[in-house]
Amino acid sequence: MILNPTVIANLLASYVSSGMLIYAAYYGAQILKYWNIESGDELQLVLERKTYLISTVLSFVFGLQLLSLFLYIFTADALAPLFVGAMCGAGTLNVNGFGYPTLELKILNFILAGLWLVLNHADNQGYDYPLIKKKYLLLVVITPFIAVETVLESFYFLGMRADVITSCCGSLFSSEKAEGLGSEIASLPAKQMLWVFYGGMLVTLLSGLFFYVKRKGGYLYAGMSLAMFGISLVAIVSAISLYIYELPTHHCPFCIIMQDYNYIGYLLYVLLFGAVVTGMGSGLLLPFRGIHSLKQVLDDFIGKLALASVLLYALFTAVVSYQIVSSSLEISYEVIY
Amino acid sequence: MIELLNVRKVFNAGSPSEFSAINGVNLNIAENKVTVLKGPSGSGKTTLLSIVGCMSRPSAGRVKLQDREITSLPERFLTDIRRKTFGFIFQQPNLIKGISVLENVMLPAYPLGEKRSELKVRALNGLDKLNLSSKAASKVEWLSGGEAQRVAIVRALINDPQIIIADEPTAHLDTKLSYRFMEIVDQFKAQGKTVIITSHDPLVYDSSIVDDVVNLRDGRLEDGPK
Repeated sequence: MILNPTVIANLLASYVSSGMLIYAAYYGAQILKYWNIESGDELQLVLERKTYLISTVLSFVFGLQLLSLFLYIFTADALAPLFVGAMCGAGTLNVNGFGYPTLELKILNFILAGLWLVLNHADNQGYDYPLIKKKYLLLVVITPFIAVETVLESFYFLGMRADVITSCCGSLFSSEKAEGLGSEIASLPAKQMLWVFYGGMLVTLLSGLFFYVKRKGGYLYAGMSLAMFGISLVAIVSAISLYIYELPTHHCPFCIIMQDYNYIGYLLYVLLFGAVVTGMGSGLLLPFRGIHSLKQVLDDFIGKLALASVLLYALFTAVVSYQIVSSSLEISYEVIY
Repeated sequence: MIELLNVRKVFNAGSPSEFSAINGVNLNIAENKVTVLKGPSGSGKTTLLSIVGCMSRPSAGRVKLQDREITSLPERFLTDIRRKTFGFIFQQPNLIKGISVLENVMLPAYPLGEKRSELKVRALNGLDKLNLSSKAASKVEWLSGGEAQRVAIVRALINDPQIIIADEPTAHLDTKLSYRFMEIVDQFKAQGKTVIITSHDPLVYDSSIVDDVVNLRDGRLEDGPK
């Protein structure tokens, strides 16, 4: 293990989150099993009181979970100078076999945690706990993922050795290299990828605005926002990063968070993750619009989520477009490997 | 109007000092009537009143207010009901020292966001009805016991509650003031309000304006309403 304040912060955040989640999931399981709002039993009243504590605790835990993704990326970037071969977070995450799986789980858990917060907020608007079983079911689903993430993160940080020679991002995300997901994405043709990105974004924004105005096509927009999240990540690696670095061969999705590039990566990722969570969140709530106690408020909340998602995607596109327009790089032809 | 179903309240549950204040109370409190919860000290009157007034939750059982179950409500909904439906008059006036009578009366209405000028007019009207207009600008420290009690009554009425809850309201009043209090209760009744009073004062529970008397002992009902 490398004793660094950021490593300790990451591990502490994970242990605190996991500990509280397991405690909350225990009560969540009890709520799933015994909850009966019609009953005046002592257990039911205890569960009603407990759910305040649990949902308050979980709001903070999941908030911490959202931040922990960025803390993890920041840590990977900050530790890069300690490893031979690592030029940025990409190399640091490759020092052992647990870095990238942890990152993938953190991305998944970010989205799940965001959706839980959306569901919890909607549930709190109703006087009769209308979504309580749904939100605790989601909690019971999320908890194992976060527990596994904590285990993998522990293996990753505790297994770090300073004498490891790792790969740099130029090697991990090389369009010339034949193997590896990063290289496969990097080798996608940049110009075509930009067409896919802008075309997909146009359809996504239009479907989002249509949903916001007409309140129709919500599931389509939720699906589009998830698809656009994936397309945007691929586009960052295969095309957008080239314009930020002003290099036709550098595809790294981690170097863009460095000071050299004005930390632009953080802004892009915050916008992108915010957009997907709010977009999917609006779709998640659609089946519950008919619930009596939520009728007055849920439609408005869904609309706000959809609008937030559209605005975040629009802002993301604006920042990306500015980077492309202001870049000195011009791609006139590409060699496809 | 208010229905209690098998209500229990246990304090310090699971500890050696566990105490069961209310034991399986079933009760209906009628609308537009004056109901007195009568019983000796420690019989559970105040505990029951605090549950009816949404100030505490039962350990088991349910309370229905106009057929709406309220014990399961999340706190913020309960606050809203408490603020708009109930007016509370306590044993002690519980006025806030350092501010005027008028400010004390207006305080419970602040969270509702009513325009201050309109609220002030309502508060002054309320004080006028109980002959307290001249005291509006006075600090509460300067009031006599009877005046303080009447200010507390005006404060309880500021949000025009349908139900007025009074916990031992005559405990610190002399006989004359106690009669005056019961006259005010009669006015509430005439206005169509529901009044629930806890008391072991015969002047209260033997009063002709009282419709129902509920006898409590050791946290249980001794018999049905009178």
